[in-house]
Amino acid sequence: MRADGRLWALIAASATALMWAVPFAWMAVASLRPGVPPDIASLTPSGPFGLSNFAEAWTSGSFPLWYLNTLLMCGGILAVQLVTISMAGYAFARLDFPGRDLVFALFLLQLLLIPPLLIVPNLATLVSLHLYDTLPGIMAPYFASAFGVFLMRQNFRAIPKDFEEAAMLDGAGVPVLIRHVLLPLARPGLVAFAIVSVTAHWNEFLWPLMAVSSPKNQVLTVGLASFTSGAEAGSAWGVVAAGTFFVAAPLLILFLVFQRRFISSFVYSGIK
Amino acid sequence: MTEITRRTALGAALAIPAAAAMARTAFAADPVEIDLFFPVPVQGKLADKMKELIDRFNGQHTDIKATAVYTGSYDDTNLKTRAAIKAGKPPAAVIMSANFVREYVINGDVDPFDPIIEKDGKTPAAFFDNFWPALKPNAVIDGKVYGIPYQNSTPLMYYAVDAFKDAGLDPEKPPETWADWVEAAKKLTKPGGDRWGINFPGTYDYCGWLTSAFVMQNGGQYYNHDYGGEVYYNAPSTLGALTLVDTLVNKAKVMPPGVSDANACTSAFFAGRLGMMLLSTGSLSFVRDNMKAPYKVAFLPKSVRNAAPIGGASLILPKGNTPERQAAAWTLISWLISPEIAGEWSRFTGYFAPRKAAYDLPDMQKFLADHPDAKIALDQLKFAVPWFDTFNTVAVRKAMEDQVQAIFSGKIAPADACAAAQKAADELLRPYVEQTALKVVG
Repeated sequence: MRADGRLWALIAASATALMWAVPFAWMAVASLRPGVPPDIASLTPSGPFGLSNFAEAWTSGSFPLWYLNTLLMCGGILAVQLVTISMAGYAFARLDFPGRDLVFALFLLQLLLIPPLLIVPNLATLVSLHLYDTLPGIMAPYFASAFGVFLMRQNFRAIPKDFEEAAMLDGAGVPVLIRHVLLPLARPGLVAFAIVSVTAHWNEFLWPLMAVSSPKNQVLTVGLASFTSGAEAGSAWGVVAAGTFFVAAPLLILFLVFQRRFISSFVYSGIK
Repeated sequence: MTEITRRTALGAALAIPAAAAMARTAFAADPVEIDLFFPVPVQGKLADKMKELIDRFNGQHTDIKATAVYTGSYDDTNLKTRAAIKAGKPPAAVIMSANFVREYVINGDVDPFDPIIEKDGKTPAAFFDNFWPALKPNAVIDGKVYGIPYQNSTPLMYYAVDAFKDAGLDPEKPPETWADWVEAAKKLTKPGGDRWGINFPGTYDYCGWLTSAFVMQNGGQYYNHDYGGEVYYNAPSTLGALTLVDTLVNKAKVMPPGVSDANACTSAFFAGRLGMMLLSTGSLSFVRDNMKAPYKVAFLPKSVRNAAPIGGASLILPKGNTPERQAAAWTLISWLISPEIAGEWSRFTGYFAPRKAAYDLPDMQKFLADHPDAKIALDQLKFAVPWFDTFNTVAVRKAMEDQVQAIFSGKIAPADACAAAQKAADELLRPYVEQTALKVVG
């Protein structure tokens, strides 16, 4: 019976993996086919194959600039987030202050708001802070993360208080405590949050499109959109696939390299 | 991991002031800075071409520094423009889908061009005579010029010469009426989906555009061209148009069932599996570059009359700009619509040039002589009709599109589709109608 259950689980997992993999496989195949082949939807075409789509995609966009901006954006958001979520998570997990649970509930409520609702108010704030059309402007609304605070609070609460008490006996203050005792122990949580944060912001389209106008501040997703065709003509799918590959590649490579650590982080931190 | 965190933190700390400094120097320069939002509805190369045009403009006008800002699809551009106006950072000018202009006027988010045109010593009416007349209803609203046509298109019929010969049809005599059209499609259709007689995109936007074409060919108006609160979805001319669609897909079975997109149409056309397709004149360059076998283009078939709705985009002036920025934007707009530049953009994109004088230039004359398909697209303009625009345009347009898509799938009879579309549209239009046409005066 048990072997049977494992077999079914394996089949279900493989089927899901296959569904997930088909678009990637198609992207890889289509990006290698020059021109506009009539059977562009095919996963197993007969050729001809070539790299011309990659060359065309690379030259028709400013990929180096877009990579740089996207890295700065994701890195900047994450760096600030790691500080804010650790401190806020600690406050909600360990400090006693009046209205703590109410404030925490208000924090979580923010998760219920759909982001497009906030576009206009956020833009107005950026304008008054003189951050409109700047990279810090794209990052600013994400500096605090309700999800991250929640995650770090759970992580800190799972750590036995003995560690902290021992450190305090040795004369450690709160900053030292967070930095040298709690954060190392909560590392899987931080890594898991980092993955979620970077993937989300790497892939985000609407907010960067709204917050930034100058070409010099453009990020990958917005740049890629200039390849994809719109309403009127047919599109050169090969070039679109090659451009998409450029956008997705860094995250894919990162995942392949750090696969084992990523998965163990997710398992430890309890995010699925 | 802590190592990496520290490094990214450091990187970001260095980067933030640097980026902020970059942004600041951009505002410190002397010339008037203006931004032009533009969508790329066709292909990536257009973005490069636009950049090249703007660089040339800046080279010729040292007192202005214009930046072309790519803003996604027509819908994204609309969203970004609205958000930017609301946030108090309106762009100096926008290339906006021509059928959204009326909503900007209704919402009071754009300035009319009339004062600047008058400052140039022209009357707005005389100024607009420079453009093809069919462009007027989407641009001149309540007697004022709110849109300057920039790139325009109409639907066009493309047909495969080999398929015509194979089916015993004369490629020199494309079908001219709906009846001829259905007959030709029947002859072109091969069983088992090997070759379909006719296909056209049924996706949102395209669907409404072509439906309005059929209704107007059938003698109808489809919507009130002067007032944004009325549509005629349940009129006999509309019922006839939807019956034509139903016939093509479900009775004669000469068109693939379900909703096809533009790519499905062009792919099948290039592969010889489609006899005729209706597609934008904006696709002329794409088809010309990719169709290996011979093809021709023709006017859309007529019922009561010929009719081809306008599509494309106009330049608008968002509200909230300083007079200096508006004047600079006008300089840019005047340059973009000059016959030379308008003609160059038209030849590059496949859109037709809204400025009539563009076609008097030798470059354009030569282009038309070399490309007979572009000439036919231009000739069809004498039958051009305006583009669907109402209050809450997209939702009201979708009210009909959802029903037509149900016909594509054989799920609803044309008469029921008309009634359902009208009901949904009336519901959507009610708030505006109550504030305008039904407003009690007293």
